[in-house]
Amino acid sequence: MRRFFTFLSACILGHQVHPDPVSFSKDLAPILLTKCQSCHGPKKAKGKYRVDTFLRAMDKGASDQPGFTPRNLDESEVYYRLITDDKDERMPSEGDPLSKEQISLFKRWIEEGSTFDGEQGASLASIIPPPVHPKSPEKYSSKIPIQALAYGADGDELFAGGYHEITVWNPKDGKLLRRIGNIGERSYAIDLSPNGHLLAVAGGAPGLYGEVRLLDTANGNLLDVLARTPDVALDARFSPDGTKLATASTDGRIRVFEQREQEWEILKTFANHSDWVNAVTWSSDGKRLASASRDKTAKVFDLDSGKRVVTFSGHSGPVNGVAFHPDGKQVYSASDDKLLLLWRIEDGKKIRDVHRFGGSVHKILSLGRSVFISSNDKVAYEYSLGDGRQRHQFKGHEDWALSIAFDSLNKLVASSGFNGRVHIWNQTDAKAIHSFFALPGYEVVEPTEISSGKSLKEN
Amino acid sequence: MKIIYPVFSLLFLGLACPGKPKISFNHEVLPILSKQGCSQGSCHGAPHGKGHFRLSLRAFDPSLDSHTIFREELGRRINPIEPSKSLLLLKPTMAIAHEGGQRLKVDSFEYNLIRDWIREGCPTPEDEAKCVKLEILPGGSKLLKWPEFNLQLSARATFSDGSSRDVTRLAVFTTSDENVAVVTPAGKVTGKNRGQAAILVRYLEQVQSIHITFSRKPEGFAWKAPAPVNYIDEKVLAKLRLLHYAPSPLISDSTFVRRIHLDLTGLLPKTAVVQTFLSDDAKDKRSQLIDRLLDSPDYAKYWARKWGDLLRLSRKQIGEGAVYKFADWLEQSIATNQSYDEFARDLLTAKGSSLLNPEANFIRTTINAEDAMESTSQLFLGSRIQCAKCHNHPFERWTQDNYYGLTAFFARTKTKKLGKSEETFVWNAKEGEVKHPVSGKHLPPWVPDTGPFELPPDKDRRQVFAEWLTKPGNPFFAKVEVNRIWASLMGIGIVEPFDDFRDTNPPSNEPLLEALAKDFVDSGFNRRDLIRKIVNSNAYQTSAESNEFNRDDTRFFSFRQPRRLEAEQLVDALGQVTGKPMKFPGVPNTVKAVHLPAPDLGQKNRSMIGDIEFLKVFGQPERQTVCSCERAGDAGLGQALQLFNGKLFNSMLTAGDSLFRKSLSAKKPLSEIVENLHLSALSRFPNEKEKAIALAYLEKATDKGKALEDLCWAILNRNEFLFNH
Repeated sequence: MRRFFTFLSACILGHQVHPDPVSFSKDLAPILLTKCQSCHGPKKAKGKYRVDTFLRAMDKGASDQPGFTPRNLDESEVYYRLITDDKDERMPSEGDPLSKEQISLFKRWIEEGSTFDGEQGASLASIIPPPVHPKSPEKYSSKIPIQALAYGADGDELFAGGYHEITVWNPKDGKLLRRIGNIGERSYAIDLSPNGHLLAVAGGAPGLYGEVRLLDTANGNLLDVLARTPDVALDARFSPDGTKLATASTDGRIRVFEQREQEWEILKTFANHSDWVNAVTWSSDGKRLASASRDKTAKVFDLDSGKRVVTFSGHSGPVNGVAFHPDGKQVYSASDDKLLLLWRIEDGKKIRDVHRFGGSVHKILSLGRSVFISSNDKVAYEYSLGDGRQRHQFKGHEDWALSIAFDSLNKLVASSGFNGRVHIWNQTDAKAIHSFFALPGYEVVEPTEISSGKSLKEN
Repeated sequence: MKIIYPVFSLLFLGLACPGKPKISFNHEVLPILSKQGCSQGSCHGAPHGKGHFRLSLRAFDPSLDSHTIFREELGRRINPIEPSKSLLLLKPTMAIAHEGGQRLKVDSFEYNLIRDWIREGCPTPEDEAKCVKLEILPGGSKLLKWPEFNLQLSARATFSDGSSRDVTRLAVFTTSDENVAVVTPAGKVTGKNRGQAAILVRYLEQVQSIHITFSRKPEGFAWKAPAPVNYIDEKVLAKLRLLHYAPSPLISDSTFVRRIHLDLTGLLPKTAVVQTFLSDDAKDKRSQLIDRLLDSPDYAKYWARKWGDLLRLSRKQIGEGAVYKFADWLEQSIATNQSYDEFARDLLTAKGSSLLNPEANFIRTTINAEDAMESTSQLFLGSRIQCAKCHNHPFERWTQDNYYGLTAFFARTKTKKLGKSEETFVWNAKEGEVKHPVSGKHLPPWVPDTGPFELPPDKDRRQVFAEWLTKPGNPFFAKVEVNRIWASLMGIGIVEPFDDFRDTNPPSNEPLLEALAKDFVDSGFNRRDLIRKIVNSNAYQTSAESNEFNRDDTRFFSFRQPRRLEAEQLVDALGQVTGKPMKFPGVPNTVKAVHLPAPDLGQKNRSMIGDIEFLKVFGQPERQTVCSCERAGDAGLGQALQLFNGKLFNSMLTAGDSLFRKSLSAKKPLSEIVENLHLSALSRFPNEKEKAIALAYLEKATDKGKALEDLCWAILNRNEFLFNH
């Protein structure tokens, strides 16, 4: 009788509320990822139970009961934990219980046979269908930091990370040219493929998801979503020949994708860092990768052998940027410890302090014969890649300089700030050309203008 | 239209932001993060934070927190466009799993406050007014009588710009005793049981507390108490009566003679002394005995050892030569009944050679000015101020400024080891200042109530401090010593732990503490007189047995708190009963454990390690700190094993020349031997039953010596022996 009732109610519910069978990837994985995985995942496995893949979620933890048993609610520990009134046992512990709708999804899925509709062994974050992101606001109500910046191939367009979008600006006059939507909440890096046809955007929403989106530069069409993780992706770089893409994520991994016909497929994963990978870059021959991590190290990897070549531990703070020396034997790295260092790949030993900045160093961009650097000391810098000599200081940021881009055709440098303002500089004489907020519709009297107004009055 | 838009939006924004932000980061957001527990020491307030998110402990460093929240990891925690999607709100509401559990409810007052602050662009002005005063309403001490056990408190803050506001929802409320009273985050106090609790209210750097007494009359309770002997009894009984605790009856002569010997000399009374006392008919024989003991060298030696614990007398700290000299100095101070204020001044202002002026060893045992100040505060102000070194004290009014202000008194105190390693020279340098670790500024010497001092450069700063400390009006000095003496005699302080004075740890009987302190000051800081008054009181001579109306009293002195014998007391007592006293390295064989000048004298040979271990197992301190907490009074498995068949204890019992074996050889009757064992171990005659069981066992035994061993073992394992009751 009880069974019949369950069956009946399943039928009723099924027909009335949710006609399609429950999908593990689409319906349950997002809940497991945001509500459970931080305590039952690779970093922590409380009660010896993990949910980060389908198989692990099904398996039993310390309690000896499997997480889920197809068509058997009584032998599905997770279901019991979701519905029990016992405060010590109910999950998520200490928080509100899941909503009735969410719990009924689990119930139906068990009753329907607990089938799996994803790739075996794949992480939750990677099997959830890529989200269609909400529309970006027509006008920005607040300033946001701009940490992703890149020039288009011929220098006519400047791409900047926005809120759920990439904004495209005319660098000459700071006018908004177009907006590319369906992007994660915030973007940490933008890279154009060498021929300029593809756009890779690394980003996500802190604590919620991370991804790298591949777009058609010309029309902004979405081509692929790669490197999906439970927290943001921080960098993405095309290889010099444009056939590969390396990504850096907060899960401590570097992923390398390769284009095969229209598809981008995973080629290698390097999981050597113990903390966020902040940046990744290619050697000029495309055979090696260098990475910078919050674990205070920088590393070099060899793509063919799939091995780590060296670890550099000379920084005392998180490392934020790396660049290969043109000879391929040395690497520049920059860190929260305010230092730009040059070190040898052969033995991982420091060669010298190249520069001490007035604040943390964010990005390093090596292009042509130069390294461009943005720093918390509100200055953007250019160094000679070969001898590490400082060439220019671009001064005028009102706040931290977060990202930097270089238009080698027109010899222009663009840098973006924590306050959302982009500055355009003349490379050859470091003169400021103009600046603008890369924030659509954002209009406000700048504090600097208010204070300068004040000082005018006082004078 | 294009032209109109910016003008329009300017107007709109102008209206929305009239100069000053509506939400204050310093006055509202940070207190909320503190109140919700985010910035507590076990969570994001830990030195390295949690989950890569670090807040200053209880919002102690606003500029660091503003950086962390708004800027760190490139503004990751804030979503300026959709504030409710900020990580700062998603985590504590558990929209994203949060190890720290749910700390905020969506749309609650606290949640909305943080969300609106983000909406305003996370303003963190640096020139906001400072909170200068916090009041709790209703103020003062409160007495609540059952069934009216509820009280709503509110908190009001006053700022340096003269403004004031209600901060009840922003302040943190905590209780000193959850068994007595609980308090909600909204400031509603509810009594759980009769007793007394302090409610502490903290807002920004300000801390206030209110003391509440909960009184409830149990069914069938009728007040009955012996007539007071002196003002001590009056104060103790008044409190007991208020709380409806019935005092236990007074003790018998045999319990008294044991208790008073242990408390004043650390030793068990000898059999003959017990017999004489019990057969004495004099009405005032108890006070006579008290007077005799207070004049005895054993009293001076034992109470000097108590100070030896606190002043870190050990070979490791000051060398063997200095240990003897300093121990002698302390003993002389007690024996001559040196006034306590002079004693403190001697220690604090000592200069010169540590061998010629042994009191200089107090300064010598401190590592630096900060340590000297911390030790001084703990000893003489009853304050564990160490926390304020790195951040404002979480439970107290001590701020970091206070810490370094007090330290400045010791900034010019210098020590130098002379050629001989035993000798250290202490002197005052002409200069030396203390730098505040955050502001980097030099701080002038500062004391509570008086404030900073402006002193001429040649003034002895320690002298100034000692004068302030020992002048009769000092609010801490007399109370701390009175409480220390009280705790020594009564087993528990009026303030407990007895060297931890703070608003959140109120005295269990404030009028009693005040009266004792006043008496102490009026008597010219006469320690022996104070002891005499306490041990003559009924409060001291109350039984350790509780009754149905005081069983749950742990701190109002309705009955005696029994204590396990101290390590040294126990070793001496075992030695005295068996006639085989323990011998210690580096001192003559006759020296008792309670008289050892230091715990680490002499070269220990290998065979003695087990014996020394006995003292350690029973909590003899190494004298590394000035904290009384170093002497452990707890019980443990190791102790049980030592008393079961430990090496030292066993050797005392099985010795061929033990007291009871000697008596046996001398053909003393078995009944006399049994009687003497009881008198010597328990200071009383055996009762009929005890006698019968013992004699039956002995007479049946073929090896009388072995049987006496067993009997002795049994008596020495009784709680009646192991405890000072």
